[in-house]
Amino acid sequence: MIEGGKKPGMSLGRFLEREKPDIHALTQARDIRGLIVSLGHRDFDVQWRAARALGTMGADATLPLIHILGYPDINTRLGAIEALGAIQDPRAVGVLAALLASHETNELRWAAALALGEIGDKTGTPSLLAALRDNDRYVRYGAAKALEQVGWSAETDEDRAFYSIALQDWDAIKKLGKSATGPLIDMLRERHPAIRAQIVEILGTIGGDEAKKCCERVLRDPDGNVRWRAVLSSRQCGVPTSYLPLQISRRQRTGPSAIGATILNFFFLGIGYDYAGKWWGLLILETYMMLLTLAQLQLGPFMPFLIFYPVTALFAFQTYFMIQREAEMAG
Amino acid sequence: MNFFNLPGQRKPDIDGLAARKDIAGLVKALRYNDIEVQTRIATILGSFGAEATDELILALKKKDKNIRLGIIEALTQIKDPRAVTALITTLHDESSEVRWEAAIALGETGDSRAIEPLVHALKDHDKYVRYGAAFALKKIGWAPADDEQKAFYFAGMQEWKTVELIGKPAVPALSHILNDRDGIVRQKAIEILGEIGDPGATPALIRSLGDASSEVRWKAVLSSQRCGIRLLHLPRGLSRRPKMTKNPLIAGVLNFMIPGMGYAYIGKWWGLMIYEVDIALTIWIFKYWGETNTYELLFPIYLLLAVHAYYITKKMPEPPI
Repeated sequence: MIEGGKKPGMSLGRFLEREKPDIHALTQARDIRGLIVSLGHRDFDVQWRAARALGTMGADATLPLIHILGYPDINTRLGAIEALGAIQDPRAVGVLAALLASHETNELRWAAALALGEIGDKTGTPSLLAALRDNDRYVRYGAAKALEQVGWSAETDEDRAFYSIALQDWDAIKKLGKSATGPLIDMLRERHPAIRAQIVEILGTIGGDEAKKCCERVLRDPDGNVRWRAVLSSRQCGVPTSYLPLQISRRQRTGPSAIGATILNFFFLGIGYDYAGKWWGLLILETYMMLLTLAQLQLGPFMPFLIFYPVTALFAFQTYFMIQREAEMAG
Repeated sequence: MNFFNLPGQRKPDIDGLAARKDIAGLVKALRYNDIEVQTRIATILGSFGAEATDELILALKKKDKNIRLGIIEALTQIKDPRAVTALITTLHDESSEVRWEAAIALGETGDSRAIEPLVHALKDHDKYVRYGAAFALKKIGWAPADDEQKAFYFAGMQEWKTVELIGKPAVPALSHILNDRDGIVRQKAIEILGEIGDPGATPALIRSLGDASSEVRWKAVLSSQRCGIRLLHLPRGLSRRPKMTKNPLIAGVLNFMIPGMGYAYIGKWWGLMIYEVDIALTIWIFKYWGETNTYELLFPIYLLLAVHAYYITKKMPEPPI
């Protein structure tokens, strides 16, 4: 709305400003609903203060907060979890544990683990133990910290190993020796190459048959640094050196396939280059397709191929050798 | 012939220009994109001594970065105190290389007027400029007034161990460095903030949870623990990181309007192939079957492509945090 003939920009600015909720007043009025709405505000500072304020509302806010955990906006849910952690009402444990076990968004699982730690209720322990084996390092770290807060101590060596891996306390893992082998191998599913490299390094120092087999497998890791660590660890585990090159050569190739690019370039000249990551592939494709269409309009649909295919075949050959050479150089 | 030299731009006749003492000509020749030529010209300009200073200072306003770099090099050689003010102005140049070189040049002059601007340059967002400024200050014989300034100085020098030993007064300097474009520098700053463990680093650490680099984000979590920040507050900070995910709706609509483009948008190399095939097909069906038939045949296919792009985009895994 334009007020009093002022510039629209001006009034828009004032409009946005007015929209910013007064967290202090909402807190004074104990307006839980208003604070929950503010959790989804786009301003980070407002979200932050609303979550803190909700944390001071006590058990009255628990049920409304649990209710909005099903809300689609991620900031609202994160704020709600944060507030539930601060309120420390054990009624929230069940829903937080369920969220920790099943939710696909990593931040939400992380927040849920931390909130369970803050609440400090022992009923959350099984789900936190499961979260020590999560795919995401933040969730694992959060679960380990939460378990500390709940007053948990590891009963089995396996739990102790997962706990130390979650904290990335590599020295502690080395001390655990062979009992850490299983959890370490399990955690090789981690998507961060730096962590996989670290795990392989420790497996090398621990040694043993299981570690040996695993090092052999990691020789085929898509990441170059992890493969190299695996080579070093394999030697420590007693894998015969002569066996390594063959394993390495069977690694998962992340680069383009030479045959794929060749076939593509034969049928659609240029797209093979594009597939191999050359920006100018599209330029060639566009030119080729235009020439082809023009030729087809002149000579009919099939004749032009008699001329074009011998030419694209030459390019296809060149593509094959180009990619082979590049793969060799990339190692 | 360098690719970046425009066709027709001939290699300048440096010897001729030098013999004629043609300063304007030499300055202009600095544009020639060959580092050896540029260095030679700068040396020749420097050899003219104080009589060239005024003209060189005037030419510092030229748009071409290479010209400014060459002139600063020449001025460094001339060591005329009249150039100090002009060099101080270049510390605010838009090009980080020029700022860096200006800082080095000011260090060479040894003039105390340069101290304050150089101290200010220790807060530059470019690590080269900070490094140059720290070195220049050392050369002039400057000593930091307090621990905070000392921290900025050693952070500029990238002597991280010393910065860590300064402790709490180093927090502003380290927080400032978190704006650096180099992820490794940011990571280092975060690590030291953790070592110092002062709660004053909280805002900077929370901000770094939304950093573009995944290692910086992770280090921010670890460091925040040493600074006594409650873990519970961190996930929301992390959720502010730049997301690499693509919008399924955009992919769907694109694929319907321009078949194949939706796939190209989510980074599938074959999207453009489908786009090309679609164009060729449309032309041919148009030619042989007429317009209406083409739409009847192709629209359902486009719709399928749109739905497919929508679903594969939705199912794409998020990159590891």
